[in-house]
Amino acid sequence: MVRTLKNLVVLLVVLSLTGMLFAQSQSEVAPVKEVELRWASIWVGNDSKAPAVEALVAEYNAKNAGKIKVVIEPQPDYNAYEQKVRTSLAAGQAPADIFTIKFNPTTETFYQSNLLMDFSKVMDGQWKATFDAGSLQQSTVDGVLKSLPMETAILPLWYNMDAFKSVGVTSVPKTMDELYAAFDKLKAAGIAPSSQMTGDTNAWTSMIWFSHLAVSLGGVNVWDKPFTDPAFVEAATILKNMITNYSTSDAVGLGAGGSGGHFLAGRTAVFSNGPWYAGRADLAATPFFDSIKIGSLPPAGDTTDFMISRLQANICAASTKDKSREAAIVDFLQYLTSPASIARISEGSGAMFAIKTDYLPTKSLQKQFYESANAAKTTSFDLEAALGAEVTLEFAQQLGALALGRISAEEFCALVDRKIER
Amino acid sequence: MQSKRTPLWVVSNIMKWILLSTLLALAILPLVWLFISSLRTNLELQISPFGWPEKFQWVNYSKALHMANLPRLLLNSVIVAAMAVIVNTLVTSMAAFILSREHFKGRDVIYTILTAGVLVPVISFMVPYFSLITKTGLYNTLTALIFVYTAVNIPVSIFLVTAFMKSIPKELEEAAIIDGCGFFKRFSKIILPLSRSGLVTAATFCFIYSWNEFLMAMLLTSSVESRTIQLGIKFFSSQFITDYSSMYAAVIITIIPSVGGYIFLHDKIIGGLTAGGVKG
Amino acid sequence: MQATGTQNRTNWAGRILFLLPVSLFFFFFFIYPFFFTLFTSFTSWRGIGAMKFNGIANYIKLASDPTFRKALGNNLIWALCQGFIQVPLACLVAIILVRKPKGWRFLRTAYYLPNVISTVALAMVWVAIYNVNGPLNAILGKLFGMESKNWLGNPDTAIFAVIFQTVIYIGYFMIVLLASAMNISRSLYEAAEIDGASTFQQELHITLPMLRGTLVTTMTLAMAYGMRHFESTFLMTGGGPAYATTTMGIDLYLKMDALRYSEASTAGVFLILLGTVVITLLRKLFGKSDPMSEMAQ
Repeated sequence: MVRTLKNLVVLLVVLSLTGMLFAQSQSEVAPVKEVELRWASIWVGNDSKAPAVEALVAEYNAKNAGKIKVVIEPQPDYNAYEQKVRTSLAAGQAPADIFTIKFNPTTETFYQSNLLMDFSKVMDGQWKATFDAGSLQQSTVDGVLKSLPMETAILPLWYNMDAFKSVGVTSVPKTMDELYAAFDKLKAAGIAPSSQMTGDTNAWTSMIWFSHLAVSLGGVNVWDKPFTDPAFVEAATILKNMITNYSTSDAVGLGAGGSGGHFLAGRTAVFSNGPWYAGRADLAATPFFDSIKIGSLPPAGDTTDFMISRLQANICAASTKDKSREAAIVDFLQYLTSPASIARISEGSGAMFAIKTDYLPTKSLQKQFYESANAAKTTSFDLEAALGAEVTLEFAQQLGALALGRISAEEFCALVDRKIER
Repeated sequence: MQSKRTPLWVVSNIMKWILLSTLLALAILPLVWLFISSLRTNLELQISPFGWPEKFQWVNYSKALHMANLPRLLLNSVIVAAMAVIVNTLVTSMAAFILSREHFKGRDVIYTILTAGVLVPVISFMVPYFSLITKTGLYNTLTALIFVYTAVNIPVSIFLVTAFMKSIPKELEEAAIIDGCGFFKRFSKIILPLSRSGLVTAATFCFIYSWNEFLMAMLLTSSVESRTIQLGIKFFSSQFITDYSSMYAAVIITIIPSVGGYIFLHDKIIGGLTAGGVKG
Repeated sequence: MQATGTQNRTNWAGRILFLLPVSLFFFFFFIYPFFFTLFTSFTSWRGIGAMKFNGIANYIKLASDPTFRKALGNNLIWALCQGFIQVPLACLVAIILVRKPKGWRFLRTAYYLPNVISTVALAMVWVAIYNVNGPLNAILGKLFGMESKNWLGNPDTAIFAVIFQTVIYIGYFMIVLLASAMNISRSLYEAAEIDGASTFQQELHITLPMLRGTLVTTMTLAMAYGMRHFESTFLMTGGGPAYATTTMGIDLYLKMDALRYSEASTAGVFLILLGTVVITLLRKLFGKSDPMSEMAQ
């Protein structure tokens, strides 16, 4: 027995040492002259953008063989990836030569770091012109552009029209009264009208509802107002009613997975999410897939014809004193954000971008997203994009208390307001 | 015991088996669920978490095997976990020997400081860990993970091994000293063999941690050459969509070696050692 | 005289040599990060740029933070439940299994299984079990006619629901106690049997006292785990609803998420110091007399 053990230990040690040598020798293979750019990419694995992105990188590397080589470092699990970006920047290092962030008031703090390249200094007018001016403006802080807007999203409502038709409603409700009437019929038929949730750290689907309500009640600049503004109180009151009377009985505490699951199962008739959900294979397999309509929430206030949108992924690059390296980064990013490349990524994924292209999806659902975005006269951020992670967390936590009747809408808004930095 | 079958004996026996089987059901249920779920589609899983697969999706297993580069990651995990366990057990058994069998001023202070590490929320040390590993040039190496896992488990191991070593009767050691055993012999011939079950327990803790750890592995590595199996599992979870059924297939595949490791450690090492233990 | 002299000298060299590797690891991975964390807790650092000293402002903010206070309370509940329910349960099972009843090997492995399953999967299945329309409500409804409850969505039940999910998985502590129980000399039981002691009496007068040291160790460990609990709750509830299940670990994580590094450090320092006090107290309370070494004679 002891001998087996000893042998085993020896074997493991030998195995480990060879493994380590192997791992180390790998990194020494790269030729010296070539500029190697590491890209910590989240568009890998199951992500719908992965195939196009990987193909684009491969083509780029083939074209620039011997000069520039882009290496994708796959980043699974988005939360952990964000943690890595934060930790790395806090430790005084860029996480990679190229990486993405979700731009919001929290991550705006990264702009104070001199580890990030300021694109406003390297961008020429021609490159700039390919971007959506509004998104570029949103990504600029005090004249500094340390992240390029890339993926954007609108966050509309999804109507399962098969469910609506089953109770005799044939079109998407245009007013709140129509919506309530339709919801009452759905409820009577045993279908929970809307997917609501207060779980996770952002109460995702309900947060989208709240954003639609607040903007309609308080205007597109509502996020600049104190959270105790009557528009927010009214929005909170309506949302509470939705959660308690027009949703599933498990809405309080439910996570995004559960909220989506209810919609996929046909247990709820209205859902809310971004364009990425449209490309899911499991959604396409549902019987009501072809009946889904994308649109706004009927206006609860005076502001109409707007859409809730956000910057979903902004591209950052590591600042460098090495001019040839900087040129290589700029060259690759110009290639990646060129309308031709973006059109290819859109085609494969149905995702939306801050770079203008002529691309229009052929699949109905994804096409509706593009049409909704184009039809909107104005856009406004959702709560998370406008106010950052801390405010959203408080919103989600207290939304549970609000829905359970433990606090009033006024108290709810006052609690969230305390977390806003001004 | 050839106990008399008194009513009390019967009742307590029934209670005993109710307890054991309830806990068994609760422990096995997630595994069974995991296995069944790994054979369903994502849609089925989303619609109703409990249910039988309409059609067995064995394809999830081939997806898991192919897409995530599993064999390489598995090898890395084995190396990292095995090395962490070996280094950890070696260094902590040495320290625990001093902390449990030697008497000197300041011993309790050292012990308290070392074991206070049990409470450290490692997550709050991520920034210093990252600087430490990148500055020493260990970023993206298996060595980095081995060091971190060894270190993070030191407090727990010290805790467990010291407790086991303390329980060894003084007489055995005294007898050895009279027989002329010096410091090193006392450690290697007396204390170490006698605390083997404690070492195995500590090793199990360290192994489970190293095998399951995800965040540090994500933080400190960037390429497949030095990544572990947990990153492979998470490969099915991207920003907007998680392929749970394939992920669960990957989980099932990775459970096999870790259960194997456990059975090996416990049946072969402790089993052989306690052949003369209590009989029932 | 001379002999003792040499012995002492080798001892000291040996002691230092034996403590050195652990000390090195500990210095680099605990002492240095601790002082880094301690240092940042006195600044207003948000992870980027230079650190600006701001005195004890973070500590004052932490002391008046209702969420953190709620988290502290929850951690105490966690620590008590893990220490005084999970460990005794594990001990009971270890005492049963050490007598090697039918299938004990299988049971030992089975109880250990939940520890190797990914926490994500474990959390997901329990979220489904606790759902309003889930199997738990179905069973309770059938057996006791209970009304369906939203276990994780109700702030009053959520904390106990998440604790239950951890406490029933005794594998971790059971293997420690079992290993220790297996080391108890068989002759003690044989002697007791000759004296006519029943099984129950044997457990009470031999096994339990012999396990006391390990029991204290595992209880301390379990309580320490309770104090720094994070993962399964975060996955199941995100700390909600209305912070009902939040813990100091979750609070700390979310502070980092919001780039409030210095405040997260403050919470971390508090957690470490609190833990050190608790461990020392527990040792004073239970561990002082080293019961094992005396008992084993």
